[in-house]
Amino acid sequence: MSSAKVVPIGGPRRRARPSGGSRRRVRDVPESVGAQSRETVGAAEGPLVALARLIQGGAAGLDWEAVARLWSAAYFSWHSEETDEFGFDRKFAERIRPIFEFLYTVWWRVEAAGVENVPASGPGLLVANHSGVLPYDGLMIKIAVRHEHPARRECRMLALDMFALLPFLAPLLSRMGEVRASQENGERLLSNGELVGVFPEGVKGIGKRYKERYKLARFGRGGFVRLALRTGAPIVPCAVVGSEEIHPVLAKADWLGKPFGLPYFPITPTFPLLGPLGLVPAPSKWSIDFAEPIPLDRYGPDAAEDPILVNRLSEEVRGTIQRMIDGRLARRRSIWFG
Amino acid sequence: MSRIAVTGTASFLGARVLRRLVELRGGEAIVAVDVAPPPSTLQGVTHRRLDLTEPASDQRLVEIFQQEGVDTVLHMALFTSPQRDKTHAHELESIGSLSVFAAAAAAGVKHLLLRSFTAVYGARGQNPNFLTEDRALQPNLALGWARDKLEAEQHAAAFAKRYPEMAVTVLRTAPLFGPGVHTFYTALFDRRLVPVLMGYDPLVQLLHPDDAVVAFERALDKRPRGAFNVVPRTAIPLLTALHLSGKVTLPVLHPIAYALADGLWALGLGEGPGAFLDYARYLFVADGQRAKRELGFEARYGSREALDAYLRYRHPEGGALEPVEARA
Repeated sequence: MSSAKVVPIGGPRRRARPSGGSRRRVRDVPESVGAQSRETVGAAEGPLVALARLIQGGAAGLDWEAVARLWSAAYFSWHSEETDEFGFDRKFAERIRPIFEFLYTVWWRVEAAGVENVPASGPGLLVANHSGVLPYDGLMIKIAVRHEHPARRECRMLALDMFALLPFLAPLLSRMGEVRASQENGERLLSNGELVGVFPEGVKGIGKRYKERYKLARFGRGGFVRLALRTGAPIVPCAVVGSEEIHPVLAKADWLGKPFGLPYFPITPTFPLLGPLGLVPAPSKWSIDFAEPIPLDRYGPDAAEDPILVNRLSEEVRGTIQRMIDGRLARRRSIWFG
Repeated sequence: MSRIAVTGTASFLGARVLRRLVELRGGEAIVAVDVAPPPSTLQGVTHRRLDLTEPASDQRLVEIFQQEGVDTVLHMALFTSPQRDKTHAHELESIGSLSVFAAAAAAGVKHLLLRSFTAVYGARGQNPNFLTEDRALQPNLALGWARDKLEAEQHAAAFAKRYPEMAVTVLRTAPLFGPGVHTFYTALFDRRLVPVLMGYDPLVQLLHPDDAVVAFERALDKRPRGAFNVVPRTAIPLLTALHLSGKVTLPVLHPIAYALADGLWALGLGEGPGAFLDYARYLFVADGQRAKRELGFEARYGSREALDAYLRYRHPEGGALEPVEARA
């Protein structure tokens, strides 16, 4: 740093646009300017430093550049400058993960079994039951694979349209590595050799009433089997127990959800009674079981066009997951302690 | 003698492609068809003055193509930015394209190349993350800009079917970004405060003009049939692009933003009608695999590099970005 050419920050700019004296005071702090550094416009300086600079400059320092600097420093302290082709931002995922780790280890005390069944490399399709009103189960499966599997793989969840198209949630999910569920997207991820997670029950699963809990809904139209057949990815059935109790849906007032573009509007013991507090999920005890992978490469990609085979395989996977769930439920003594 | 007729040589990309073609094939091989003459530095280029919105432009085009011995037509007379005069834009883009295609078919042209835009797919929430060429074109039909391009594409597809001996290529370019590009969307990057849609941050593709020129070069060499996406190597989230450019972003609720943009546009202000906000709201990222396979075209620049090139071009001395740069 010391050997680098030292130029006042305001150097080149002051020539172009003369500025007031007090503003110069801030700018005169010498700072090394990396040559050709335009390509790395990143946030080497944290938002706090930028804020300090803004305050130090006083009222005169409150110019556009200072605000813009603070703005982008704040942004890049949470976001990286590069994302993958689906918008997955590793820095953002890293920053936000502690929240989900807290839920995983403390709140729901998730017990994961059979994680070794998840392929350590190459494509794989995790197929799980969906429940709990909000897609926490997907996030917990992600954490389970990332923390308990030796390969520490990043599982890419295919998100329902109702979440992937919602403002605020949509960019959040894609920054976390989730992708809108569609055949094209799934095929692209799997052919890139990624580990992909799907919930074939879709909306029917996540918005189940409490009295229908742990009864798997129809598995769509077998789209996930076609996906696996086309790409030759093995299917890993996955059963999540505990997620049905986090937001027990007593009744549904779907007409209330319509104006918000939601396919359902749940009424739980706490929501909407307690308002936003009702969104706090109940601290049930969770378990996530991974079954042995079902290899599908022997059928070949053309088998995806065989609806009978697709349906048979789909039912097979559904049966496996239902059996795993029933086994867990039989052994479970308490919703809260397992 | 095989000569290439290029329409819309006064447009930014038209002028760039024209220059490249003169370098590669010599000025004698090129006929520039435009209301404005090409730069006088391009020696040997024949200029035929023609307004595509004139009623009998198709007959004049047939004459031009036959007299000049044209066997390839490169049609680039399309607006990148929305026009206040919607009727004129429609006459030029939809009807003008029809005239060009009809004249090309009548004059026995062997290869017809249309410049189009990935925006013609339309930005929709239901779009897959990567749009392939066989995806139906579903732009927002309230947007005259996109509707005229859609019609030009539909005319091209109809002629491809009716005249199988004529190879018809459509190149759908991602939004251009780089040195020399001045459009309604780059104007946003010249402001200090940029309004954004609250809660939306789609990936966008910014194509460096150098890459676009190469794609046209390849397409003229290979004469492939059908549509091809011409896209940069990588995409970039819109907010990341804005923050990398050192902009202050102002999140606006989208119903308000649409109404405001429409209102400003109606008042003669603003960069474009509100329907353009779809492109800042939803994905319209296109997949470049087909161009790679069949044209041998792969972009050298990613969206990030195109953005950097644009910022260097706009702020050669550092300028607005200089304090941010100093941090690196």
